[in-house]
Amino acid sequence: MNQETPHRQHHINLLPGEAAPTILVPGDPGRVKLFAELMDEAWKVTEKREYITYTGKKDGVLISCTSSGLGPSPTAIGVEEFIRIGTKNIIRVGTCGALQPFMKAGDIIIVTGAVRGERCTEEFISIDYPAIADYRIVRASIDACERLGLTYHLGLVRTHDAFYLESPWAHGDYKARLQKWVDLGVLAVENECATMLVVASMQGVRAGTILLSSDPIFGEGENDPDLEKHKRDLVRVGIETAKILHEMGLD
Amino acid sequence: MEKQHHIQLLPGDIGETVFLPGDVSRAKIIADHFDSAELVASSRQYNTFTGMYKGVKVSVTSTGIGSAAAAIAIEELVKVGAKNLIRIGTGGMMQTWLPNPAILVITGAVCGDGLTREYFPKGFPAVADFHTVESMLASAEELGIEVHAGYEWSHDAFYAGSTLSKLNILEIEKPWIDAGVLIASQEASTVLTLATARKVRGGVILASAGCHQYPDKGATPEEMVMAISNATKISLETAVKLHALDHGK
Repeated sequence: MNQETPHRQHHINLLPGEAAPTILVPGDPGRVKLFAELMDEAWKVTEKREYITYTGKKDGVLISCTSSGLGPSPTAIGVEEFIRIGTKNIIRVGTCGALQPFMKAGDIIIVTGAVRGERCTEEFISIDYPAIADYRIVRASIDACERLGLTYHLGLVRTHDAFYLESPWAHGDYKARLQKWVDLGVLAVENECATMLVVASMQGVRAGTILLSSDPIFGEGENDPDLEKHKRDLVRVGIETAKILHEMGLD
Repeated sequence: MEKQHHIQLLPGDIGETVFLPGDVSRAKIIADHFDSAELVASSRQYNTFTGMYKGVKVSVTSTGIGSAAAAIAIEELVKVGAKNLIRIGTGGMMQTWLPNPAILVITGAVCGDGLTREYFPKGFPAVADFHTVESMLASAEELGIEVHAGYEWSHDAFYAGSTLSKLNILEIEKPWIDAGVLIASQEASTVLTLATARKVRGGVILASAGCHQYPDKGATPEEMVMAISNATKISLETAVKLHALDHGK
């Protein structure tokens, strides 16, 4: 297929101009509807496979939200296709397992970098290349949390492929498997962040990740009773971050 | 506590911010930018000066070349109280669109060295401290100095990956040039990962001595003196900003 002429992207099913300059990317397709509820107005643009896209306006700023599905493979596809339609800022808004004992359910994690424990991005570039969030998106995310009065942590996460090896529902002694990441100061484990950061940054496109500590593994708050409220907070941080990027002239 | 094995320093000998040039002679050049400075230790290639800048205690320790020596300095400096480690160095530019010499604020590094492979699991990211990056960019703007932010390719073998190499460096570096990595040097991956692991701040600012794609057009010695001086001025203002962030004005 000719990759130069604008065309509807193979998986996300979007044309250039059909999404806003900033796209928020939850893993869960269901969370796109939560985004739509929290906007002043929003409309469904398209739906194909696990990629559902809504676009809307909040305080006059145009923002889109496309689900990536779970894991590195669909995330890498989504990010590559967002870049091909001209997206400026790609921001994952997802859940994760928090690793540090000081972290509580409902805390927000703003990622500065990710351990590339997944295999997908090694097909694009050597493992030596770092998965790093764009510093302007980090700044916008910090300001968003402060505006909304939410607790946040700044730091590294681990991205990996096998959810059922490193989660509270995992086989065997998952805490022993996770201990080395706790010791290295890694804040959380999840399945998409490093993929997004590598695929975007190696093409000069800004990307970042904002996570909700939904399942603290070593801290307080397993089976969080306020999970639904906390998921709304996460999406609100994403929307506020997109607004701040607009104010910074970066969309 | 006994003096640290290689750097020969005790707690109290240094400020919380320590600048890390590779070049031994550059420690004195950087210290000359402080309001006051005195030599506190000299051992092997590790020369340390400590002094004051705008009321903040600051230090500079030369590390010598390469990740092995830089890691020793960092481990020992952290044990005697370093909180902000800022490498001030030089490197070979990899992109054609940058001015030469350019001053580069390093936001992350490719771990092409052996030291980080020995210390850290595969895929561990070399990320600069966010507040250090922001402080460097803000300081550069206040000083009216043009800087560019981006990644360094950190590697071990100077005579494999520099304009003086006998190998085809543009072929070796192609993946990094294509990914937009700005500059080749040797220590950023070590400074940034070790700082992260020891829970202190790590930052890197570099002056490019020439471009790998135009090996005949190096910066003049005078231009390099100016670029290193400007990188030092930005680093000193960064130390003041980080001090205010941690301790108030």
